[in-house]
Amino acid sequence: MPETQLKEDELCETGIEKLDEMLGGGIPTGSTVLVVGSSGTGKTTLCMQYLINGAKKGERGVFFTITEPLFKLTKNLDSFSFYDKKLVESGMVNLIDLRIISERLGLDTEKYTVEDANALLDILRDIAEELNVKRLVIDSITALCYRLQTPEMIRDFIFKLGSSLASMSCTTLLTSEIPPCKFQYSQYGIEEFISDGILFLGDVERKGDLIRTFQIVKMRGASHDRTKTAMLISTKNGVELETLLRSRE
Amino acid sequence: MANILIDSLMERISSAIDVNQSIGILLPGSNYQELIQALFERIKSKPDEAWIYVSVTKPFQNISKQLPFITEIKNIRFIDCISRAAGISKETKNVIFIESPTMLEKIGLEIMNIFKEVDPKTKKYLVIDSLTNLIIYNDPEIVTEFFNHIINRTRARDINTISLAIEEEGMESYLNRLIFLNDKILKIRDSFI
Repeated sequence: MPETQLKEDELCETGIEKLDEMLGGGIPTGSTVLVVGSSGTGKTTLCMQYLINGAKKGERGVFFTITEPLFKLTKNLDSFSFYDKKLVESGMVNLIDLRIISERLGLDTEKYTVEDANALLDILRDIAEELNVKRLVIDSITALCYRLQTPEMIRDFIFKLGSSLASMSCTTLLTSEIPPCKFQYSQYGIEEFISDGILFLGDVERKGDLIRTFQIVKMRGASHDRTKTAMLISTKNGVELETLLRSRE
Repeated sequence: MANILIDSLMERISSAIDVNQSIGILLPGSNYQELIQALFERIKSKPDEAWIYVSVTKPFQNISKQLPFITEIKNIRFIDCISRAAGISKETKNVIFIESPTMLEKIGLEIMNIFKEVDPKTKKYLVIDSLTNLIIYNDPEIVTEFFNHIINRTRARDINTISLAIEEEGMESYLNRLIFLNDKILKIRDSFI
């Protein structure tokens, strides 16, 4: 399908200057985007910056974590200058630990049955709707699926999640964990099929040092850049993208 | 004698940078100290200009020990690419520390980020000290690519560039390739003294 020029209000700006440029202005509103990378590639920071930048423009967001406790998450965020605690206190950015939700629902937090998974999906949707969020993050889809016991359950859960997200008007980022140095998009090989976009976070080695990289693999509806760039993370500016030097890569 | 040398170097650099966007300075190691002193004297004498000094040769601490007046210069920011790798981790005002000289993209990004904060009307200058040391820590091809990017981006943003190349045996071909990307080349010779 040919990509058409989207209007400004049909795009969800990430607030990361070069990323928005590469996306042709932003992520098409309502998309579900997979943020893929191995440990330490910057998935959580990128997603958090996306939420915080949205909140600064008045777009409410929710961050569902299943990989790390909230106190750890906020402690890490404190060091970044883009992070504004007041946005969390005012409810513009909502941080929710899915393990606590699971406990409150009386679900086994380590292994989900089909019913558990459906209950969790319902609660995710209810929270997003009640808070009227425009931006949603699930960190990570991999850890969530890990709690499902069979490939069939995972497949079913991911498709239901995809339909749920599509029916909501918010723009969603799902983080996907992969082993290091692997060019694959997901652990279960299906997450990418419910996604409208894939952002791939990787590393290149230079003289033994690791340089973070970033690439937009797909973004439905957007005329986007596909070049691999260097991704830098600093406490001052958070995530920044820069032309990757590629000699002898 | 030393003052005359430094004044002459300062004069040569000043007149070259006034008419060229980028200059490359090829010098023997024995003249390095005088040259950087001349550069810092020049920077100090023009407080209205904005300067970035990228150091890959010596840690900032070391340079400031030899030339203590540089800590008083207000119109300069340092990007120190060597201290962290050398295990020196003292936070210093006006100095950005890069973890390794191999992090070329980060060096480029920091340069542009600093200049973004400078008033557009202010004259901006960048010093890379030195191409020789960048080649020691990186493959020459990637340094060429990095330097090309820097030259193109600084040209587009009206930033003047001074890059030093300390002559080193076995590196002539790489240094010549790099230094010729500049608009003007100054060759400093021992005989100049």
